[in-house]
Amino acid sequence: MHPGNFTIKKFHEGLKNKEFKASEVVQDLFGKIKNGDGKIHSFLTLLESDAVKQAEKIDGDLAAGKEIGILAGVPLAIKDNILIEGSRATAGSRILENYVSNYDATIARKLKKEGAIFLGKTNLDEFAMGSSTENSAFGATRNPHDLKRVPGGSSGGSAAAVAAGFALGAFGSDTGGSIRQPAAFCGVVGFKPTYGRVSRFGLVAMASSLDQIGPLAKTVEDAEILFDAVRGEDPFDATSVKKDFSPENDFGKIKNLKIGLPKEYFVNGLSDEVKNGLDEAIAKLKSLGFKFKEISLPHTKYALSCYYIIMPAEVSANLARFDGIRYDRMKNISKSEDERTALWEIYFKNRGERFGAEARRRILLGTFVLSAGYYDAYYAKAQKARRLIQNDFMNAFNSLAGGVDVILTPVTPTAAFKIGEKTDDPFAMYLSDIFTISVNLAGLPGISIPVRKYKIGGELPVGFQLIGKHFREADILGIGKEYEKI
Amino acid sequence: MFIKKDLEKLAELARLDLKANEEEKLLGDLTKILNHFEELKEVDTESVAPMTGGTEAENVLREDDENLTLDKNKAIEVFPENSGGFLKVPPVF
Repeated sequence: MHPGNFTIKKFHEGLKNKEFKASEVVQDLFGKIKNGDGKIHSFLTLLESDAVKQAEKIDGDLAAGKEIGILAGVPLAIKDNILIEGSRATAGSRILENYVSNYDATIARKLKKEGAIFLGKTNLDEFAMGSSTENSAFGATRNPHDLKRVPGGSSGGSAAAVAAGFALGAFGSDTGGSIRQPAAFCGVVGFKPTYGRVSRFGLVAMASSLDQIGPLAKTVEDAEILFDAVRGEDPFDATSVKKDFSPENDFGKIKNLKIGLPKEYFVNGLSDEVKNGLDEAIAKLKSLGFKFKEISLPHTKYALSCYYIIMPAEVSANLARFDGIRYDRMKNISKSEDERTALWEIYFKNRGERFGAEARRRILLGTFVLSAGYYDAYYAKAQKARRLIQNDFMNAFNSLAGGVDVILTPVTPTAAFKIGEKTDDPFAMYLSDIFTISVNLAGLPGISIPVRKYKIGGELPVGFQLIGKHFREADILGIGKEYEKI
Repeated sequence: MFIKKDLEKLAELARLDLKANEEEKLLGDLTKILNHFEELKEVDTESVAPMTGGTEAENVLREDDENLTLDKNKAIEVFPENSGGFLKVPPVF
């Protein structure tokens, strides 16, 4: 029996029935991580002593006959751009290498209250900028299904940790696909809620109008449980929204949801394994009785340009706080021989030497699109294109005009690519997010679900994406739960 | 046309020292990306309201109550240098 491989519900039942102790599972998982993570490198920091202490507390509560919640004792991995008080939070960057957070992100606070256990902080592309986790300043993560391949990114460490069985579930952040794309590459479920559903307080900001925190898990049901624990309005995040959520489990209702297939997403460029995977997923859903309809999202083509203007613009503003004065200092910087003051020297040296190549590229690009003379042609234009991309979805979802309830698309054009394959060509790397970024631009919920249950050592995983209406997470989670019963 | 001088100007605005050997690569990368953006010109955005954020929420207000969530000492401790309850910054001139 390996409770570390259980679903959350099964784990919870086993724990309550005293089939095992939380502390045993936690110690078992740390053993597994120490044996296996040398090759995968999903974790940047392990929180062993705190995790064991927390697990013993849960065991104590159970022994004392106390009621425990569904997440009590559940071992989780947290992306290293989400703050946990007293723990290092690097965001994958040299510039935060020695930064220890002095407060909890709202999601960390909520999870702690539920009794969840944090095993450690997971690897990511620097400041969540990338699609392969190769941009981490602390070395790449490898895909547990094939160590020569990337796990995807930027939440590659979280996806790999769940796929490798190091944690029952994980949290990541998704700005343009950073939860869904690595989930697809690693054969796990990745869920990005509606923008505003989950507080971003304590998440190292990348692009604030696009960032959203969400879970990575082995099953849709687990993803829903994790999401339900962290969602909700938060006074510390003014974009968080007060809206009810209740899981949908009534198949009679779920079955009536009409699924749209946007023709712009099913064009050339899809690899055979992805094409076959999508065919399989659609056939399975049809066998469950779901009705499909071809739809059009005409501005899809412009999403990549729109995203790569708006996102870097926000990046250049958000990353201005890393000035070499706060968070961490480089030693021995003094006034240079030219006209620069010591302060300027600190700014230029810290930011020049300690931001990685992709972070620097995006800061420069963002500075450009926001600069005088170019603002209207790029940034303002992209904001208008963003509106058109969102309108496409609103039209497709318009029930008064025979619209659909849910949209099904690929997550990625290919399965996991090889390490090093795209590192020299940022544009090729950007294209791997082509099917996920529109969801962030429009602020919609999206979930990546593995087409099959993939075992380590077998074929490369492929996922499909379900996109829901704003705040209708219950629809896509509901369909996903039915799908995984097959 | 995006040239070396533009790149250096941007780097100055962004307060970044560029490495000598990366300028050419950066110029190539940025030029390729900016060229791709040209496709947006064909999008008719006449009378389209810009989408200025991820939410349509407006006027999010809350009571202006004192709500101490972080102890002062804890807040100061994470700053790289501090002294006697103050944050210490390098000389700026």
